Amino acid sequence: MTVSLTIENLSAHYGTTQVLKDLSLSVAAGELVSLLGSSGCGKTTTLRIVAGFLQPTTGTVRLGDRDLTTLPAHARDIGLVFQNYALFPHLSVLDNVAFGLKQRDIGKPERVRRAIAMLERVGLAPLSDRLPSALSGGQKQRVALARALVIEPPLLMFDEPLSNLDAKLRIDMRVEIRQLQRANGTTSLYVTHDQEEAFSISDRVAIMNAGRILQLDTPEVLYRRPANAFVARFVGFENLIRMKVTGREGAMITAEAAGGTRLHLSQDVFGPIKDEFVLAARADGLSVRRDGEGIPATLGTRTYLGRAYQYKCETAAGEITANGALSDPLETGTRAVLTPVAEQCCILDPED
Amino acid sequence: MNKLARWGLTMPATIAVVVLLVIPVLLTIATTFGEAKGPFSTYAAFFNSGFRRAVLYRTLKVALITTAISLVIGFITAYVIAQMPGRLKSIAIIAAVFPLLTGVVVRSFAWLIILGKNGIINDTLLSTGLITEPLSMLYTEGSVIVAMVYLFVPLMILTLTGVLEGIPRDLIEASASLGAKPVPTFLQVILPLATPGLIVGAVLVFTGSFTSYATPQLLGGEKQMMMGTFLYQRAMVTFDWVGASTIAAIMVVITIAVVTIMSRIARRLNPMAV
Amino acid sequence: MPTRVHPVLGAFAALVFLFLLAPLVIIVGASLSDTTFLTFPPQGLTLRWFSNIFHVEAFRRTAITSLQVAFLGTALSLLIGIPAAYALNRYRVELPRWLSTLFVLPILVPEIVFGFSLLKSITIGLGLPVYPSLILGHALLVLPYSVRVVGASLASFDFSVEEAARSLGCPPVKTFMTVVLPNIRAGVIAAFILAFITSINDVSVSVFLTGPGISTLPIQILAHMEQFFDPTIASVSVLLMLVTVGVMAVVEATLGLTFLTK
Repeated sequence: MTVSLTIENLSAHYGTTQVLKDLSLSVAAGELVSLLGSSGCGKTTTLRIVAGFLQPTTGTVRLGDRDLTTLPAHARDIGLVFQNYALFPHLSVLDNVAFGLKQRDIGKPERVRRAIAMLERVGLAPLSDRLPSALSGGQKQRVALARALVIEPPLLMFDEPLSNLDAKLRIDMRVEIRQLQRANGTTSLYVTHDQEEAFSISDRVAIMNAGRILQLDTPEVLYRRPANAFVARFVGFENLIRMKVTGREGAMITAEAAGGTRLHLSQDVFGPIKDEFVLAARADGLSVRRDGEGIPATLGTRTYLGRAYQYKCETAAGEITANGALSDPLETGTRAVLTPVAEQCCILDPED
Repeated sequence: MNKLARWGLTMPATIAVVVLLVIPVLLTIATTFGEAKGPFSTYAAFFNSGFRRAVLYRTLKVALITTAISLVIGFITAYVIAQMPGRLKSIAIIAAVFPLLTGVVVRSFAWLIILGKNGIINDTLLSTGLITEPLSMLYTEGSVIVAMVYLFVPLMILTLTGVLEGIPRDLIEASASLGAKPVPTFLQVILPLATPGLIVGAVLVFTGSFTSYATPQLLGGEKQMMMGTFLYQRAMVTFDWVGASTIAAIMVVITIAVVTIMSRIARRLNPMAV
Repeated sequence: MPTRVHPVLGAFAALVFLFLLAPLVIIVGASLSDTTFLTFPPQGLTLRWFSNIFHVEAFRRTAITSLQVAFLGTALSLLIGIPAAYALNRYRVELPRWLSTLFVLPILVPEIVFGFSLLKSITIGLGLPVYPSLILGHALLVLPYSVRVVGASLASFDFSVEEAARSLGCPPVKTFMTVVLPNIRAGVIAAFILAFITSINDVSVSVFLTGPGISTLPIQILAHMEQFFDPTIASVSVLLMLVTVGVMAVVEATLGLTFLTK
């Protein structure tokens, strides 16, 4: 019984500040969608509205054909995994997991059986008598996950569930969450500020800023073809260079940036290019070379990244961050050129 | 150097407590064992006297009833305060703090005006014709209990408001998200988590009322002698210092026993610690 | 906490606040009554009972004693309590645990027992005069506030700041005065206020430590009540409540009143 989540025209206010602006989003049955953005972007507000802890000013929340908008939180049947786990400190691991079943008036033998079965799936059955205070962070997170899953909710929600774990555990846990979610086919909404986490775990990711969704796409599309400058910067396109097309010759175009910098780009690689556009490039997308075609630059501070050297470069089009080969370290003050590397660049529409 | 510093810094306070409190109180207790008739003779005398036993029982009874009433009133009020929006909450807290900071004499005195022969209650009842003779409400166990509840409810409210506000909001939301309605959430999450705080509050009120002096003095008088007033009377009116010391020793033992046992229970029940 | 409250609970809480505040209102009313006995609502309005306070010499004298004892006792308790609180937090691991229990004994031991024992051993046993006994007794009575409340703000103090100051060449005592003390200001103020209020309202200890010509205001009020039951007591009570209002205003201005629930 997998169902879809539909959020329509949601807006919300804290006092007089509007924190969500006409937000719509739908999560298909069985899909895992992440809300990704920095703090204050409205991702947690959205989750809390869906959970029933906040009332939206306008808009509706539907789960399958049920309208949740005015239901109290306890009647929504949503499994929620909290940032700091929110395990009941006075209840054993087993009782924590069985709590939701108890609320559903499931008899004791049955709820113990189901809770144990769920604990086995997360590998914690041997710890079922412990109190939460005797668990490690990773174990707590597994209990929180088991507690949310055991009620077999049609919708699972995660509120920055891994942010309190150390780096290695975070990676293990996200694989585990993904496996459990896949196995159950539960529709899921996942809130995080960590791009890598969102991209690795999600079917689709919604990048949010200032109460709006700026782009909702698969991680692959977001990573390679951001729809606007904000998303581009968010996914690591550090350099945004405004350019004008000065000549077209078949698929090749010639474009100029401020200061007369000239580049040749192929529409076979970048897709159709309008007369005015923004070239977005990661640091790896502009290769630092001694000579050749590219953006003329004077090299500034050099830092060592392990796989490359990174340079702060002065160009006529402004300061640019670009990477150069390890085999050829260049000194500060060297004149060099920055050559675009197609797969680490993309073309955006200019914004005003 | 460090060792010198840390002992040096605690030394003045340590000496003050030992010299002014520990030794005098131990001496007080010691004198009760030095009687010619045997080391426990004063205690035998205390517990063989019906009057003295009655004082102890009355004190325990009044303290227990006061604690129970304060607990119920305090918990409900704190629960309401904890859910108030910010502005109203500050006003409620001010309203609870104000009586707390007002002295015990002033607060007990108020009940003399209310409960006295010519007090407000009697005046009102007489003028409405419900009674023809003024009721004697003062110098009863009831009057002492009312005044003590009045004395300790603010303390209970503030303690329990702190306890309830200390329960993470997440846990209540987690409970709701798992399908618990408000009453089960209260019984299965809020109440168990508040229990250690309730015990702490109860201990504060119990020991406070068990050892009180001014309130039973004003509202209980000679008729409703309690341990505090009894001690004072023995020491300063009849100058029976051994008798007074015996009362003191019994008070110390009961107080410290209640505090240690209950705080041990509270600690065991407190899952938030660790 | 959920935000909705059952109306019955709300009404109950409202009654509790009525119960808490009505008696104080009654005292104010009674203090204004133009009668020689205490009554409420007041019959006729007068301020003569307030002026009567100043005609009763004992009230003026004991009020001064109470203020002196509260100031000196509180100051003394802070003087020995702050270093102890500092050491307990700074050297938490090295110091034995019973030490922090020792400093709460004045709360744990029944006040009336403490007062009696102090009288027996110090005032009479060692022959210390009543007035210094009173100050020492109050200093000890309020010591737990100094240690605990100052200690609570030290608990959240980052001692590496102190080490930073030391590494920059600041000597220990100067470091404490210029780096630690300003950061625990709120705790010191709160401790002072709580201690002062406790001291000035104290009955159970003071009742043993009063002698000829020396008494505190609460003890004087008790004594007065045994002889007279006129509105003078109500007006003294009103003045004491005004002191409380003043103290609360100071708390609000310096720390915010919500400080008191912590």
